[in-house]
Amino acid sequence: MSEPTLSAAKSAGQLNDELLSSLRPPTRRWYLLAFCLGAVVAWGLAAFIWQLTHGMYVTGKNRPVMWGFYITGFVFWVGLSHSGTMVSSILRLSQANWRRPILRAAEAMTVFCITVAGLFPLIHLGRNWTFFYMIPYPNQRGLWPNFRSPLLWDMTAITAYIIGSTLFLYLGLLPDLAVVRDRSVGWRHKVYAVLAMGWRGSAHEWSVYHKASTLMAALIIPVAVSVHSIVAWDFAVTVVPGWHSTIFPPYFVIGAILSGVAAVITLMIIIRRAFHLEEYLTPLHFDNMGKLLLVISLLWTYAYFVEVQTTWYAHEPIEWEVFSFMADRYTIPLLVMLAGNSLLPITAMCFKRLRRSIGMMLAVSLLVNVAMFIERFLIIVPSLSHKNMPFAWGSYTPSWVEISVNIAALAGFALLYTLFAKFFPIVALSDVRELEARKAGVPLGRVRVPSITGEE
Amino acid sequence: MKRRTFLQLSGMTAAGAVLAGCQSQNEKLIPYLVPPDEGVTPGKADYYASSCRFCPAGCGILVRVSEGRAKKIEGNPAHPVNRGKLCARGQAVLQELYHPDRVPQPLKRSGPRGSGQFTRISWQEGLALLTGSLKELQREKAADRLALVTPQLRGTLAELTTSFMGAFGSPHHLSFELLGMDWLRTANRRSFGQASLPFYDLAETRYLLSFGADFVEYHLSPVQYGYAFGRMRQGRDTVRGHFTYVGGRMSLTGASADRWLPARPGSEGTLALGLARLILVESLFDAGSLTANGLRAETLLHTLEGYDLSRVAEKTGLTHKAISEVAREFATTRPALAMAGESVAFQTNGPESVRAIQLLNLLVGNLNRPGGVYPDGGSMAGAENSFTELLSLVAAMRGDRIRVALVHGDPVHAIPPASGFQEALARVPFIVSFSSLIDDTALQADLILPDHAALESWGDAIPLAGARQAAVGLMQPVVTPLFDTRQFPEVLLATARELGGKTAAALPHQSYPEMLQGWMRKRVGRMAGQDFEALWVDLLRQGGLFETKPGQGKGYRWVPGAPLPAPEAPRFAGDEREFPLHLQVYPSTPLYDGRGAPLPWLQQLPDPMTTVVWDSWVEINPRTAADLGIGFGDLVEVTSPQGALRLPAVIYPGIRPDMVAIPMGQGQRGGGRYAKGRGVNPLALLAATIEGKDPQPAWNATRVRVSRISGKGDLVTAGHPQGSYRSELIGI
Amino acid sequence: MSNRKETIMEKMTSPYKWGMVIDLDRCTGCGACVVACQAENNVAICEKKEISEGRNMQWLRIERFWVGEYPDVRVRFLPVLCQHCHDAPCEPVCPVYASYHNPDGLNGQVYNRCVGTRYCANNCPYAVRVFNFYSHEWPKPLDNQLSPDITVRSRGVMEKCTFCVQRIRRAKEEATGEGRLVHDGEVQPACAQTCPAEALVFGNLADPQSRVARLSRSPRRFKLLEHLGTHPSVYYLKGGGREHV
Ligand SMILES: Nc1nc2c(c(=O)[nH]1)N[C@H]1C(S)=C(S)[C@@H](COP(=O)(O)OP(=O)(O)OC[C@H]3O[C@@H](n4cnc5c(=O)[nH]c(N)nc54)[C@H](O)[C@@H]3O)O[C@H]1N2
Ligand code: SF4
Ligand code: SF4
Ligand code: SF4
Ligand code: SF4
Ligand code: SF4
Repeated sequence: MSEPTLSAAKSAGQLNDELLSSLRPPTRRWYLLAFCLGAVVAWGLAAFIWQLTHGMYVTGKNRPVMWGFYITGFVFWVGLSHSGTMVSSILRLSQANWRRPILRAAEAMTVFCITVAGLFPLIHLGRNWTFFYMIPYPNQRGLWPNFRSPLLWDMTAITAYIIGSTLFLYLGLLPDLAVVRDRSVGWRHKVYAVLAMGWRGSAHEWSVYHKASTLMAALIIPVAVSVHSIVAWDFAVTVVPGWHSTIFPPYFVIGAILSGVAAVITLMIIIRRAFHLEEYLTPLHFDNMGKLLLVISLLWTYAYFVEVQTTWYAHEPIEWEVFSFMADRYTIPLLVMLAGNSLLPITAMCFKRLRRSIGMMLAVSLLVNVAMFIERFLIIVPSLSHKNMPFAWGSYTPSWVEISVNIAALAGFALLYTLFAKFFPIVALSDVRELEARKAGVPLGRVRVPSITGEE
Repeated sequence: MKRRTFLQLSGMTAAGAVLAGCQSQNEKLIPYLVPPDEGVTPGKADYYASSCRFCPAGCGILVRVSEGRAKKIEGNPAHPVNRGKLCARGQAVLQELYHPDRVPQPLKRSGPRGSGQFTRISWQEGLALLTGSLKELQREKAADRLALVTPQLRGTLAELTTSFMGAFGSPHHLSFELLGMDWLRTANRRSFGQASLPFYDLAETRYLLSFGADFVEYHLSPVQYGYAFGRMRQGRDTVRGHFTYVGGRMSLTGASADRWLPARPGSEGTLALGLARLILVESLFDAGSLTANGLRAETLLHTLEGYDLSRVAEKTGLTHKAISEVAREFATTRPALAMAGESVAFQTNGPESVRAIQLLNLLVGNLNRPGGVYPDGGSMAGAENSFTELLSLVAAMRGDRIRVALVHGDPVHAIPPASGFQEALARVPFIVSFSSLIDDTALQADLILPDHAALESWGDAIPLAGARQAAVGLMQPVVTPLFDTRQFPEVLLATARELGGKTAAALPHQSYPEMLQGWMRKRVGRMAGQDFEALWVDLLRQGGLFETKPGQGKGYRWVPGAPLPAPEAPRFAGDEREFPLHLQVYPSTPLYDGRGAPLPWLQQLPDPMTTVVWDSWVEINPRTAADLGIGFGDLVEVTSPQGALRLPAVIYPGIRPDMVAIPMGQGQRGGGRYAKGRGVNPLALLAATIEGKDPQPAWNATRVRVSRISGKGDLVTAGHPQGSYRSELIGI
Repeated sequence: MSNRKETIMEKMTSPYKWGMVIDLDRCTGCGACVVACQAENNVAICEKKEISEGRNMQWLRIERFWVGEYPDVRVRFLPVLCQHCHDAPCEPVCPVYASYHNPDGLNGQVYNRCVGTRYCANNCPYAVRVFNFYSHEWPKPLDNQLSPDITVRSRGVMEKCTFCVQRIRRAKEEATGEGRLVHDGEVQPACAQTCPAEALVFGNLADPQSRVARLSRSPRRFKLLEHLGTHPSVYYLKGGGREHV
């Protein structure tokens, strides 16, 4: 990929000031934002407590639709969490240098998404207070959890993913923490000092650091893939018509990457705006991301087509019943989903002009994720509504409690993010500076050689 | 090793490994996986035999009692009628005992009638009020100003009430039930010279032809006939009984039929005679049976001239093919059995139609034959014109000739207002109710002397047409009474004692159980010789006295010179143009005539045909509904010459397009929290079409019109409306 | 140790495989079995609202299907209860073994283990699992009817037909007390016991001579959703020669 071109190499001090701007003492606007988000989260919490004290009946669930908005949210956030892994790993390994400014933001996104996702399975329990029955530890029940249950696989995978992605984030954070440490005073200094683990930035440290992060990048990808395959198995291993489908794991992973990429694009736009990184995140990069989005969207479309086509071709009565019910009862959402995940991205991303239009990219990336939420919903609910026994068919409409909790989840995610950005460098400072340094080569005879070695 | 076992083990060994090192822990784990008690501690319980009097069938029950509480009602296997089986209602009688709104002690009205305002009083006070009012009548030589209204009673209660009223000197003892079997007794008397009810040997028959006899829901003895139906279908290795159902509405019984003939309402008798004629024409009849009954084929054929196929087809709205096929099947598949039911009887030409249907049984020679019809061994005699009595009592009350009315049961809800009963009763100065819930009648009462619940009561239950052999079921208290209530008969006895004189002399018994024992002692007279006390204990233990030999009653034989059945053209209340649809009001399967409505289990039990819960509804043919722009669950208004009701509509493929149907039971003003104000009472729509000299109930002869009000019918069904048409998806 | 092993083997291989045969040609759809089940098993009373929300708690339902159009219309009744599948989709998905298979071939449900994921109900193709969305009450003195043999399920747990396991246990305890096996017909679940038409027959499928085993070999037999390979313990017998439209 082509390097970003800067008018003039900025001094380290300049860069630090710019990129660490987010760490300056919070403004009134920041407090306002944090407060609003906090309020929404509080409301969601209240809704959950209402459900806790009254019972599952405050949700829209029933027989046969025993899962609804909570599991939809769960799958959606797990999918979204693939954003970080996406850029960090794929771009890192492919050495796309323009990744550097958004690296941190994306990795943080992963951690917060998966954390939020992890809450839903607990929220949706009929007896939330007994959640620990599912944790494997020697107990008076003399019984271990059922390792044949995909829910156990979920727990394992998600825990692994949370740990993995947190390490990933922390590792990348190390050198920057050192910088912040050196620039901070008082108690903050102490805290950052501890977190920086005595990073000095010696050549040795750097080479180890590079090895480690490359290794991490390689390792986190299979984890990410496995996580969403396992989430797909929650459905694929059942006998529910419309769920029991071999294509689900790859289909879910593709979907996850689609929403991940879209999320990263949204993020790029926000960061670019917030930190005036117009020189770093040029339309060229959006062009690249657009191409990526186009490919993934095509893949997703293919997978979805295959899924529907098999159903249609086999025409297994009950499966077809489920599909026609979905098309009939949820026509509008279905169309929005197809438009947002397939039609719009594919058509729009075919045109260079649109790919380089920030506004367009924002619109598309946001719509993709709206559509992705709908997609999760349309996978879960219609199948349950028209299961195998026609006499026991039903339908589902989310209650105010479920909606509140889902909105609160979004707000909670944003809140975590805002706080993180306030206390940690949200732009991978050292990465960016490394790039700068690399540009500022030293003259050696007639040639200029890079001042420091890259990852080649 | 089976896959499941393997998975079970692997799953657990995996766990086991983590739990305690490498060595397999299955021995430890399986006992945990399969817990010693699955939330279950089977306790020892006592069983007490008693009887169910929730409907006249009088099934035998066993009540499981633990820790002094009745927990579950089961059928009494020793009982000849229900053989250990029970219907849904019989199961739910438990909730009558533990109903949260039972009247805990005597109540005196404190507000205006119907307001439901009562003050609690002691039994002493309550009985004083009752006897006081009666003594007053005696003093004023106005004994005939006392009325007693009860359901149709048998056994000790019949004796008790009759002798009480007799001794007191009042003729106004009304023993009436809308679903009383008078019509069948009347028809039997006209045709066979005896008022006994028939016992149909359903189990052994090979071809059943039911004219609206809904024996699965309520007709005669539902459990007995449900049992027999199972045997008829699959009880015999080689034979599977065939079943054809005749009726404009496919009832729950009709739903089990192989063939459904939706004959026009009121045309069933004509159809029967049409079939009879075909059988005679094709000489498929049983000659022996005709001669035995002193009938000649020629004369029969001559009298049935008018009932030629085309005319019958035209009158009934059925196809020639269907009619002639059924005629042949019925005549050639012996033994074949024809049953007549309420929906036929409650037409203006009811009794004659019923006789026409009985004639079919005679023609194919299955009177008093296995697989045929016998006189019932139990209740030989019974009310035959209680409807007339109802009308005369209404007249008396209207003429202010009644000053005290003792009412048992809930006639205010269960009698069609068209009879004038309700407004006439309102004129009676002093009304005493014995209801254990504040039902519609109790709401009108000035004094409530609450009866025991059935499971707290002594008594006898003589099954109605449930067996060929005589049977008397006994009722005994299975728990100590929950509240300060007293059994109705005890109250009568106490009152008699208090009144003294003739009345006391007529009812000398110290207590009702004592009377019951004496009564049983008489019945078992034959078996006497052995010590009765011991026998009594045995009787209680086994649930009653069940004879093994069929009843002594003589079989059915056509009365010489009895006129042949001649159902005239049916008449209907309401002009055809103004009221285009026939209304059929039928007893709800769970709620019966309404006495089931207070019990939540029965309210929650989906109606078998519509799967509606906790509500009333009107059934409309899909075509008719489409014409009227009515959708499933819409709120509609049903208007008859008598009145109008609003209730949700159910699209019902099993009903004639020119017919609608509404179940009885709901629409109570009282009846406790579960019944109160729920649904509508369709009896309010029924017009009293009363014919000529001998008035007769024609509850199925009212016309109505239906119009859509809104989409908000608030209808709840257990089954998915669309899914209910998709049986192909599960291949049944 | 050795005798311990025996008990384990007993637990793994039981002489009983409880099963049921439902004769659709006998079933009249009367609903007696539904109330019997509710009475026997402390099944909650559900108001209209609760049922309208699709949260009826009954363990046994009579499905009613309309076939054809007036006047050639037919009705089919299908009693549906837990099929006690031998390869029960509801079991492997339960993270806490609350839904498990017992050696007698019953699909057991341990209420106090259940955390309420409702996964089992999603995966039960027969939709017979009911969930306690509400905490149910029995207004006094209605609570007297509650059977002490079975727990009253609390809000947030899954429940379903148990083949009246409490009756089975009682019968087995009596039998073992007398050192014998449970006789055929000795134990009957509430629904089968009350069914007037004797459409429901319960017994030990492991005993080839038992009534249920003999009926299960009838040429009319079929299993519900057989193609899913759940291997139910419930056999249905086709609705005889009833005309099909
Ligand atoms: N008159 C009199 N009084 C006595 C005594 C006496 O001899 N005579 N004995 C005294 C003595 S020694 C004792 S120990 C006490 C015993 O008196 P309690 O402790 O009252 O024992 P029970 O009355 O036998 O059982 C109590 C309740 O537990 C219920 N129960 C049974 N199994 C279970 C279960 O698995 N779970 C739950 N939740 N409930 C269950 C039973 O149905 C019963 O309602 O009585 C004392 N009081
Ligand atoms: S048929 Fe009548 S008597 Fe028999 S159990 Fe049912 S309600 Fe009771
Ligand atoms: S009790 Fe028997 S006949 Fe009645 S619905 Fe249940 S299974 Fe069918
Ligand atoms: S029927 Fe449903 S609940 Fe019963 S065992 Fe089979 S899967 Fe489990
Ligand atoms: S709801 Fe209960 S029984 Fe069902 S899977 Fe979840 S924990 Fe297991
Ligand atoms: S077997 Fe027992 S638990 Fe199952 S449906 Fe029948 S009565 Fe209910």
